[in-house]
Amino acid sequence: MNEATIEVTGLRKRYGPTLALDGVSFTAPPGKVTGFIGPNGAGKSTTIRVILGLDEPDEGRAWVGGHAYQALNHPLRHVGALVDAAAVQPSRTARNHLLWLARSQRLDAGRVDSVLGQVGLTAAARRKAGGFSLGMRQRLGIAAALLGDPPVVILDEPFNGMDPEGIVWMRALLRTLATEGRAVLVSSHLMSELQGIADHIVAIGRGKILADAAIEELLTGEQVLLQTPAPAEAAQVLQRAGGATTVLDDSTLGISALSARQVVEALGRSGVAFAEVSTRRATLEDVYFQLTNEETEFRTGTAVRR
Amino acid sequence: MIAALRAEWTKTRTAGGGAWLLAGAVAVTVALSAGIAAATHVSAHSGQEDPTKVALGGIYLGQAVVAVFAVLTISEEYGTGMIRVSLAAVPRRLVLLAAKAATTTALALAAGVLAVTGCLLVGRLMLPGAGLDPAHGYPLISLGDGPTLRAAIGSVCYLVLIGLLALGVATVVRDTAPAIAVVMGVLYLPPLLAQAFADPLRRHIEQIAPMTAGLAVQATATAHSEPIGPWAGLGVLTAWAATSLLLAALLLRRRDA
Amino acid sequence: MTTTTAPPAAAGTPERARFTAVLRAEWTKFRTVRGWVIAPVMAAVLCVLFTYLVANGTHTDYCTGTGDCTPGHAFVPTGPDGQAVADSYYTVGRQLTGDGTITTRITTLTGVTSTAPTSVAPSQARQTRPGLTPWAKAGILLRPSTRQGSAYAAVMATGGHGDRFQYNYGHDHAGRPGRAPRWLRLTRTGNTLAGYDSADGTTWTRIGTAHLAGLPATVHIGLFVTSPVSFRSSADGSRTLATATFDHTVISGHATPGAWRGQNIGAGEQDFYPTLRSGGYHRAGDSLVVSGSGDIAPAVVQGLLGANTAASSQPFGLTVALIVLIVVAAMFITAEYRRGLIRITFAAIPGRGRVLAAKAVVIGAVAFVIAAVAAAASIPLGEHVLHANGAYVFPAGALTVVRIIAGTAALSAITAIAVLAVGAITRKSAAAVAGGILVFVLPSLIGSLGSGGAVTWLYRLSPAAGLSVLQALPRSALVDYPYTFGNGYYPLAPWAGLGVLAAWAALALAIAAVVLRRRDA
Repeated sequence: MNEATIEVTGLRKRYGPTLALDGVSFTAPPGKVTGFIGPNGAGKSTTIRVILGLDEPDEGRAWVGGHAYQALNHPLRHVGALVDAAAVQPSRTARNHLLWLARSQRLDAGRVDSVLGQVGLTAAARRKAGGFSLGMRQRLGIAAALLGDPPVVILDEPFNGMDPEGIVWMRALLRTLATEGRAVLVSSHLMSELQGIADHIVAIGRGKILADAAIEELLTGEQVLLQTPAPAEAAQVLQRAGGATTVLDDSTLGISALSARQVVEALGRSGVAFAEVSTRRATLEDVYFQLTNEETEFRTGTAVRR
Repeated sequence: MIAALRAEWTKTRTAGGGAWLLAGAVAVTVALSAGIAAATHVSAHSGQEDPTKVALGGIYLGQAVVAVFAVLTISEEYGTGMIRVSLAAVPRRLVLLAAKAATTTALALAAGVLAVTGCLLVGRLMLPGAGLDPAHGYPLISLGDGPTLRAAIGSVCYLVLIGLLALGVATVVRDTAPAIAVVMGVLYLPPLLAQAFADPLRRHIEQIAPMTAGLAVQATATAHSEPIGPWAGLGVLTAWAATSLLLAALLLRRRDA
Repeated sequence: MTTTTAPPAAAGTPERARFTAVLRAEWTKFRTVRGWVIAPVMAAVLCVLFTYLVANGTHTDYCTGTGDCTPGHAFVPTGPDGQAVADSYYTVGRQLTGDGTITTRITTLTGVTSTAPTSVAPSQARQTRPGLTPWAKAGILLRPSTRQGSAYAAVMATGGHGDRFQYNYGHDHAGRPGRAPRWLRLTRTGNTLAGYDSADGTTWTRIGTAHLAGLPATVHIGLFVTSPVSFRSSADGSRTLATATFDHTVISGHATPGAWRGQNIGAGEQDFYPTLRSGGYHRAGDSLVVSGSGDIAPAVVQGLLGANTAASSQPFGLTVALIVLIVVAAMFITAEYRRGLIRITFAAIPGRGRVLAAKAVVIGAVAFVIAAVAAAASIPLGEHVLHANGAYVFPAGALTVVRIIAGTAALSAITAIAVLAVGAITRKSAAAVAGGILVFVLPSLIGSLGSGGAVTWLYRLSPAAGLSVLQALPRSALVDYPYTFGNGYYPLAPWAGLGVLAAWAALALAIAAVVLRRRDA
């Protein structure tokens, strides 16, 4: 097993009446950015907490580089994680926050200054973390994750609170980390953030994996956009013709599983009026909505599972 | 103000911990009183005893729980950052403080009535067994007795005032742990310090300290040995509570949330 | 960025090195929050400051029988081992040069007890009733001089403890049980003194021997009678007087010729030990009737001296310091829960027991050092101020002072660790802080409500038992005194009391360790 791999198998976890994780399995391979997506409350953070040994699963296991997290000697040298950027003692300076972490991993103080430089916090290193903006705290959290130069990096919602400049920086950082051969697991509830940087997507909803696929596989589908004054009739006709429709607004339908030509033909046969037909490549956003809609509609459906 | 009050009441009602704390305050007060009553044995040469005061001894412990409750009503908001939400909802800060004070008063009053009633019942039932019975010249505890009624009402007021004092301190200090330490230090340390000194210094300390002055109201038979008169003592405690709330109001207005 | 060359997982680093790393991390955490560094230093300063204030506020007056009071205190003899002693008695004696033997028979030993408490001057309370106290003493005394506090050896009959051979105030050997009549004998051979008793004057049993180094050739020998304060009927104690009849007194050796000389020792107005009235003697036929009041024993009757010891000004300051340390100890763990920082900690250090242990070591060490420094500064300061105010301070040996300093430090360390554990269990500071403070302040406050018995149990069973380490008042089996909490004596021995506190802390730590392991972070 490569050091730079996260392997999650059959995780189940119940909090009282809520089933938070219901058989979660996936692998985050080395050298790739794996996007871990799902709506709020889907089980992303719980899964990450289980990987980090913070929560104990009722069933299943999560291994990092072939080892249980608890068995790692200096875990931050194997896994770097950003879980909650607000988790700092407000009266401690940024540098001291990293310093105690370094001490716990038997890293020297030089490493602290080096990661501070890497995330651009050198100037703020001796300021109290309590006065940091959310974006600065995110950077501090990233610095903590990179402290042990780990082969596996896990970032929970790293884009939260970042300004546009920060987002650009973060995207570049994630790519670099993957290029260096690390396994990078990035969770987000906003698909657009991961577009263009994720190599692989693991989608989760209601504690179940909805999709676990390379980004190319997910984005193969084309969507036909239809402008029509009678969207309800059109939807009926197109579904009969074998298409799947989504209502995008009161005059626009999104159609998949039918080509633009097939749509025009079907509408023509039935005499439904339409203003415009266009095609568009599916975005991660579409895939996401499609996946999560299916999950809400067919709770037991296994969707696009590979 | 009504809206702010209702908001505070809803907050306290839905927080869960508050109700348990107040129930705990009543429970520990009555339990300690029962314990003291069970441990009391009056012998011939143990001097004049005051059954009402002994029965109300549980207040020594119960006040700490009431104080913790009052501290938490505001310090938890500072701890979680919810104070900003509260101040956004009720921008007039004094109104917010007043609403909190009113809620604390109402709840401490309720807890106080229950606790004091429980203590007096325990005293009436258990103390005769300890030798504090009419045969030895100690009448049964009864609210029909003027000084006992004064002690009962005074003890309820005492708990309310302790709650308000604690609320003020917590608003000034803002962090739970130090706030509780300050309140408990102000309550419990002066009597300890007084024990280290001889009169008249001891008496002066007991006259101005919130606990010893405030609890003078509990005396019925031994009022002459108290450092200060019953109502005057409660007045001293009121001054403490008022000062702490005043300082709290001043700082709450001045400081950034 | 460097390339990823991860060290091997799991195996490798020995447990001790791992723990050292966690310890360094927790120490870094502690020292980098300014408030947590300032607060303990403040705690030490407050402890010293309050110790000074308490000592400075302590004044004792020394009153004579006529009612005149002046600042200062009565004269308290200091024994050969540096301890405070009572040395008041009546003796009839002469000088002995070289080796010798004194033999006598005691035919009667009776006593009277004052009906008034010791606080009433003897001149105002003449009434007595019959009653011999158990430690009333009558017998043969040998000492280099009659200076109070000097070395001695004595064989004696007592009111209730049978025959005894005692020397240098603290040393005691039991002889035949029962009371007069009996025969007593004391021999001197060089520096060795031996006490014997006998029922018939022919069969002698040796009770014990003593070696008094540096005994001069000529020593004082004599018959003596003394009778200590009785606490049987009054909590304040009552003065007593005993009277013994001696006959068949024989001295062999080079004794000064001439008549017996009677001497009242330690019964002056300036002497601290309460005596009923001056002793005396008279002849009755072949017998010598001697009466005396006082005691030759360790001084513990602190009600008459005040309860001041080297450590007696310290408890209040220590309580203040403890409150500060309790707050810091609680926050050291609950602040992490409040901010979610605990997840970062447990992600960096998955061994949660190790985190708890490291935190306990850090907070325990901080509290230990702070309290040790505070005690080491405040004990001599308090003692000095008390002396300057004219108060009597029970002498404490260097060992006792070291024990109190170490005990104070251990008490603070264990308390901080217990509070840390409670904080780990509850995750909220409120319970840990309130509980920690109540434990130390409530017992002494409830004590003022008049249920002394219950308070004694609190100091036996509750964590407050740890305060026993502050005990510095002497106690002795040779003195009948109510060694109660009300009189300044903790019910447990110092280290036993600390053990009770440590047991509570261990329980809290064990629960915390289990809870941390079981609970999701």
